[in-house]
Formats: sequence, structure tokens, C-alpha cells
Amino acid sequence: MTRHTLTLAVIILLAACSTEKTPLVATDVVISRPIPGMQTTAAYFVLSNNTTQAITITDVTSPHFESVEMHESTLEDGMTRMYALGELTILAGATVRFEPGGKHLMLIRPTGDVDTVTLEFYAGRAIVLTVNVTFKE
Amino acid sequence: MGPRNVFVAVVAIIAIATGTWMSYQLMSPPPAPQTATMLPAPAELAEFSLVDHNDRAIGREVFAGHWSLVFFGFTHCPDICPLTMRVLADARSQLANLGQDPLPRIVLVSVDPERDTPEIMSQYVGYFGDGNLGITGELEEIRKLTNGLGIFFEKSSVGGDDYSVDHSAVVLVTNPSGQFHALFGAPHDAENLVHDLPIIMAGQ
Repeated sequence: MTRHTLTLAVIILLAACSTEKTPLVATDVVISRPIPGMQTTAAYFVLSNNTTQAITITDVTSPHFESVEMHESTLEDGMTRMYALGELTILAGATVRFEPGGKHLMLIRPTGDVDTVTLEFYAGRAIVLTVNVTFKE
Repeated sequence: MGPRNVFVAVVAIIAIATGTWMSYQLMSPPPAPQTATMLPAPAELAEFSLVDHNDRAIGREVFAGHWSLVFFGFTHCPDICPLTMRVLADARSQLANLGQDPLPRIVLVSVDPERDTPEIMSQYVGYFGDGNLGITGELEEIRKLTNGLGIFFEKSSVGGDDYSVDHSAVVLVTNPSGQFHALFGAPHDAENLVHDLPIIMAGQ
């Protein structure tokens, strides 16, 4: 199955689910306000796929940051590294944790001084989840 | 057994118990660090020429006169670096509440001097408490310091125009003679630091 077909399938599936329950749910969302003068912060949360099909997050954006990237920190042989996660597939009924020292969203260059951040999660061209959260001070 | 014999027996039992207890006390080793690794002998730092977060020229003598917790990171790091700095600040705060004197100083050595100017370092280390020290400067001079300590770092691409820096996640302890004294391996935990640091600092 090509990526476009898969994305289309997800969109159709999500449309079918929209009248029932939210397909993708984020809980325990924590975003620390960027340290004064700094250009980045991280978002942590737990994502749960409530559907019977896998959902592939292809992009995350925010109107409050110039750029949002899905990353994973690793610790191997005493070295910490950060990898970009191009996409993230959450299997049917599965839960994925974004947590300190592991997967996280890197939020880069705030576009203004706000208290609440909006995150939009995309599967292809469809927004599958919108999250609004107040900065943790 | 008459009353006199009972008395003698009780005295004998107390004497044996006391002797046993005292011998255990004398033989038991002093408290040891649980997670930190002590160097067999403290090691001198390499000479270097860098700047602190106030843009003052510094060399290795900046480490003298303090116990320091030294972390190598960068201010664009969204996850591990602020996480580690928070653990160090939390441990220092807990030690202060326990009456620990002297308190160790938190030192961040930038592994991304290209972006970490003294001004940015000042804002960053200041955010995690008073008295912290930020060190940055020329890349080659930073490598003089890190190479001698077994600290590695290298730029890595994370897509787009941005880059990250892979780096050793260890926290080093330097002593008031300005020597590399002990280290804590990652991942870091404030409770481990609070347990081990008073033992390390009392041991010199």
C-alpha cells in the first residue's frame, strides 16, 4: 500500500469515527515555558489510539512556534543523542508516551509571548488531534 | 543458681553483647557513595582558555575553591539538558535544606559554543539558580578541557537547518583543588546526588 493510500485510509477511518469517540487522545500534556532568552522547549504527553486501525502521525505544527519536530532522545554508552522521528505510527488501541529522556516534541522559536500553546497533529493532510495547553511555569 | 551467680551471668552477657557491638562499629567501613564513581586519585584538569557567562576570561583555576557539579550540554537542547540541570538544581536545593556546607556549584560547559554566547549562557545558568557557572568560548579550547576528561561531543543533523549535538551525559564532580574527583553516570537522579555528595565532599 502506498503512503497516499494509507493516508487516505486513515482519513476515511477517522471520518467514520468522528461521530463516535475521539480517535486520538493526548493526556498528561506538559510543556514548560521556554527558559527566558532560549529558543526551544519540549512537549511531553501520552497519545492513545482509540481506533481499531493504526494511525500514523506525519507532522505536528503549532501557530505559536516557527517549527515543531518529533524527536527521540537516547542514552547509549554514556552518550545522549537526539534523533528526528520522521513519522510515528501508533497501533490500534496502543499508547505511546512522550516523556523526558525519550520521545518528545521539540518546539522551536516561539512566535510570540503567549500562555497557551496549540498543537495540531497531522496524519497526511488531515488534522487528527488538536491540543491546547497552558505553559507549565 | 544463686542470686550472685545470676548477677555474674547477666554482667557477662551484657559485656559480651557490648563488646560484639563495639567491634562491629569499629570494623564497619565508612559510608560509601552508592552511585557515584570515585577516581582512584583526583586528576588535574587540562589547561584551557575560555570565558564564563559574564564574558570574563577563565582558565582551569576557575574550578579551584569550590566543589562543582560539571555538566556538558547546550542551551538549544530541549530535553536532556534542561532535565539534567533541573536535577542538579533540585539536588543542590535539597542539600541546602539538609544544611550541607559547602554546597556544590553547578557548572555548565557548552558543547555548542557556536550558538551559546556568554549572554545566552548567563540567562540559561541563571535560570537554574544563583551562583551557577556557565563556560563557553572557542571550540578548540573547549576540546582541550573535554578531551582530558573523556567527554565526547559532535554535531548531528536532525533535519532542516537546525542541528543537535550528541554529547556525553555524565556529571563530573571537581574538588576545591580544581581536580576531577568523581563522576555520576546518566540517567541522573536528585536522590542519588543528595545521598552521595556529602560523602564525597567529606572524604577529602
